[in-house]
Amino acid sequence: MMEVEETNFDELYEVYACMQCGKCTGSCAVSLRSDFNIRELMRIAILGNNEDVKEHEEIWDCTSCGICTVRCPRDLKPSEVIVGLRSILVEEGEVPSTIRDALESIGNNNNPWGRPKSKRADWMKDLDVEVKNLSEGDEAEYLLYIGCTASYDTRIQKVSRAAVHVLTKLGVDFGVLGEEEPCCGSEARMMGESGLFEMLVEDNMNLFKDFGISKIITLSPHAYNTFTTDYKDYKKRLEEEGIEIPNLELDVKHYTQFLAELIEEGRLTSDMMNEFNKTVVYHDPCYLGKRNNIFKPPRKVLSIIPGINLVEFERREDRSLCCEGAGGRMWSEGTGTGERNAVIRVRDANTLNAEIITVACPFCLSTLEDGRSTAGYEESMEVKDIFEILDEVLK
Amino acid sequence: MAVFVFIEHREGKLMDISFEALSAAQKLNDEVIAVLSGENVGDLAEKVVKYADKVIVVDDPKIDTNNEAYTRVLDELIKKEMPKVVIMGHTSMGMDIAPAVAIDLGLPIATDVVKISKDGNIKVTRSIHNGKVLADYYLKDAETYIITIRTGEFSAEELSEKNGKIERVDSPLKEEITNKKFVGFVQPEVGGVDITQADILVSVGRGIKDKENIPLVEELAKIMGGVLSCSRPIVDYGWLPKERQVGTSGKTVKPKLYLALGISGAFQHVAGMKGANMIVAVNKDPKAPIFSVAQYGIVDDVLKVIPALTQKIKEIKG
Amino acid sequence: MDIIVSVRKVPDTAEADVMVEKSGKDIEKSRLTFTINEWDNYAVEEAIQLKEKYGGTVTVITVGPKDVEDILRRSLAMGADKAIRVDMEDPEDAYTLANILSAVIKNQKFDLVLFGAQSGDFNRGVTGVLVARMLGITHAAMVNGIEVLDGSIKASRELEGGLNEVYDIKLPALFTIQTGINEPRYVSISGIRKARKKPLEVLTPSDLGIGSIEPMVRLDKMYLPPPGKLAEFIGGSTEEAAAKLASILKGKGVL
Repeated sequence: MMEVEETNFDELYEVYACMQCGKCTGSCAVSLRSDFNIRELMRIAILGNNEDVKEHEEIWDCTSCGICTVRCPRDLKPSEVIVGLRSILVEEGEVPSTIRDALESIGNNNNPWGRPKSKRADWMKDLDVEVKNLSEGDEAEYLLYIGCTASYDTRIQKVSRAAVHVLTKLGVDFGVLGEEEPCCGSEARMMGESGLFEMLVEDNMNLFKDFGISKIITLSPHAYNTFTTDYKDYKKRLEEEGIEIPNLELDVKHYTQFLAELIEEGRLTSDMMNEFNKTVVYHDPCYLGKRNNIFKPPRKVLSIIPGINLVEFERREDRSLCCEGAGGRMWSEGTGTGERNAVIRVRDANTLNAEIITVACPFCLSTLEDGRSTAGYEESMEVKDIFEILDEVLK
Repeated sequence: MAVFVFIEHREGKLMDISFEALSAAQKLNDEVIAVLSGENVGDLAEKVVKYADKVIVVDDPKIDTNNEAYTRVLDELIKKEMPKVVIMGHTSMGMDIAPAVAIDLGLPIATDVVKISKDGNIKVTRSIHNGKVLADYYLKDAETYIITIRTGEFSAEELSEKNGKIERVDSPLKEEITNKKFVGFVQPEVGGVDITQADILVSVGRGIKDKENIPLVEELAKIMGGVLSCSRPIVDYGWLPKERQVGTSGKTVKPKLYLALGISGAFQHVAGMKGANMIVAVNKDPKAPIFSVAQYGIVDDVLKVIPALTQKIKEIKG
Repeated sequence: MDIIVSVRKVPDTAEADVMVEKSGKDIEKSRLTFTINEWDNYAVEEAIQLKEKYGGTVTVITVGPKDVEDILRRSLAMGADKAIRVDMEDPEDAYTLANILSAVIKNQKFDLVLFGAQSGDFNRGVTGVLVARMLGITHAAMVNGIEVLDGSIKASRELEGGLNEVYDIKLPALFTIQTGINEPRYVSISGIRKARKKPLEVLTPSDLGIGSIEPMVRLDKMYLPPPGKLAEFIGGSTEEAAAKLASILKGKGVL
């Protein structure tokens, strides 16, 4: 019987209910270009031999986009089964070295990028506005949670700075955590390291309590998703193990939701913006779209920009093509061959004559920018976060 | 007072570190005595004596490239000659021999030294914590100090000629070494390419423009004794196989030298190679992020630099 | 085969900004993270792989205050059977450290002792061989390959320039392990939790019969090197720049 941390696999994932219909594989964004076959992996989970898992290198190909779970007619969670299978490998220490390094870095440095904790606030160095730091005694209504990638990746640091500009211009009372900001753990969980994730949930909930934080705006859909779903599940799990977790009702919003609310309240209007005469296409991130059904808020924000020509991908919303940036894929190339989804995506955008692909996720920004370079559209197309566009247009 | 210099040689050739060690010894303004031991090393003495006051030659087939034998010979020579300082390279060989000599003779040892000064006592400077801190150390009063020097810190170009004498002595080694037997040199297999194990990586990015240019870079890598690696787009284009890809999602590498040719330096790529001892970048865009992690940079077209560099290195290597 | 592995906890300074304390005797450590020395991690992995193949035990040892125990727990989670910590501050020099470690090791049953070839903090690359000599056992430094024979080990030593040399070494022996000899496994958090049950013995220097040892090497002061520019741009024509770069590479000993 296959077990994860002494818990029966079937008890966790109800794998016996799987009827091997293959809808999951049919919808999978990775199986198009790799040997990754989720129906087959479900079967391995049913057969329950740990050794079988080790032979499937492609288990690390999954981007955790969640479409298989959306499509499963039995309401099973194949994407969670993958996490479970990965955790078997994590327990045995048999993970690709790049995944190992990312996980070790989360444990040691509180980020998967192998960068020191003391440089987490480096993105703030070039800021021309004052920001409150909630870890240094400042108080604010909202925590702007930057996240690891937007703290360290030099390209995406620009998004973090744009976020600060925009929220400041809009008069939002917010602060950041600077060097003290922790890893949210979303990727650790998706890579199958649930022990590490438990530790982060415990530490982070205590940290939020200590710094008086209850309202959070996240840059990343991944942080949003994990704070709003996984943290609740794991709080329960930890409390069953006798570990006390502060009773905090976290009010977490992805920034596009937050901005859409400001629009409803009349605090963000077209009048506040300059004309933006560009053709823009919005790419739905999986963790906002497929996993959380947040389709309208980002579009609402973009639509009020005067002059913008907003076009849409044919594959959008819950059918949006995954950029292959998550589920540990930043630290594992995967076995896939042929054109990356991100390249296919920018080609699609090119057919739409889009001058800008706009995103609301640091991983999407990273993968699509790479795809744009590979496709050779550096001169004709830009990849920008919605925050960056707003920063440009806000008067 | 004399300074011993342990001469490192391999397969009939003097190693560069031997001249660096001679240079370090000359700076101490004492008699420089080179110790040249091994089998059939007579010919090498002529080249060494140019920079030493004396070369002690121990020619003994029993030494046979065996570090334990070198150690015992050196032990005996130190006991006999009582030099003030013994200098050798902080090389693989130095790391195997120097600490053993220190314990055999009860002497203080300082390793991986970047500067030696005489400040009453012998004072050494070491570069620690990833080169971010320098530290000065004093060695306990002793008859002799054992010091190993870091490669590349004492320039052989600063050597002055001494043209001393060559002294052949009988080998103090009484018996064959049996507990540690030298078997042979092995060149690691080159079949499977493992870029994580390479000392030198010559890495290419989109700046090389065309698949046709890959052979140019291969030639440079070969001349340098390095291995070819690349950034992600090169794999995406199918110009090089996946196992050559450097980056957090490809392979994380820590070579002694990372030569980035036409790589702009995307975050994921940089995060996969920033642990290299030395990073050299060539890119035509002076604002390319790769330069923020490089120690040396050339702002130029890689397609012009590659053949020029290949030529210059050929000349240097002869 | 019974194997002892010496491990050390070091600050990760690869990317951090490092400052020296006012006293000049140490670096400021409050903002640094500490991990098992990278070379030691390979040594532990190698020991465990040997145990998995040939049987026997793996004992990890370290010297330091209580807060270094986490690297022992981590090594136990990797598969070591037993851990020993000598409770004292990190000794001033490698010679003192080697004395303490050899006092611990000589009371243990072992066929093989493994050290990391160097440590990422002081990169002295000396402690292992000092210990071997103190114990009177055969050693090999910079080992990047181990093949077990009958009563001896064929050890490959990494040389400069991509060459290896192979020795046949009689047991008992001590090797210092170079990185890359294996692929260290991941140690999961739940694995570390489970390893809490494994034995961890704490000894004091007096348990080992060690009095005061006079260091052979004494720190005078630490200081920061003169600030280097980020990239030093090599100017001139393509030919000139290439020539300069070639000579820099030669000078730095990388060619």
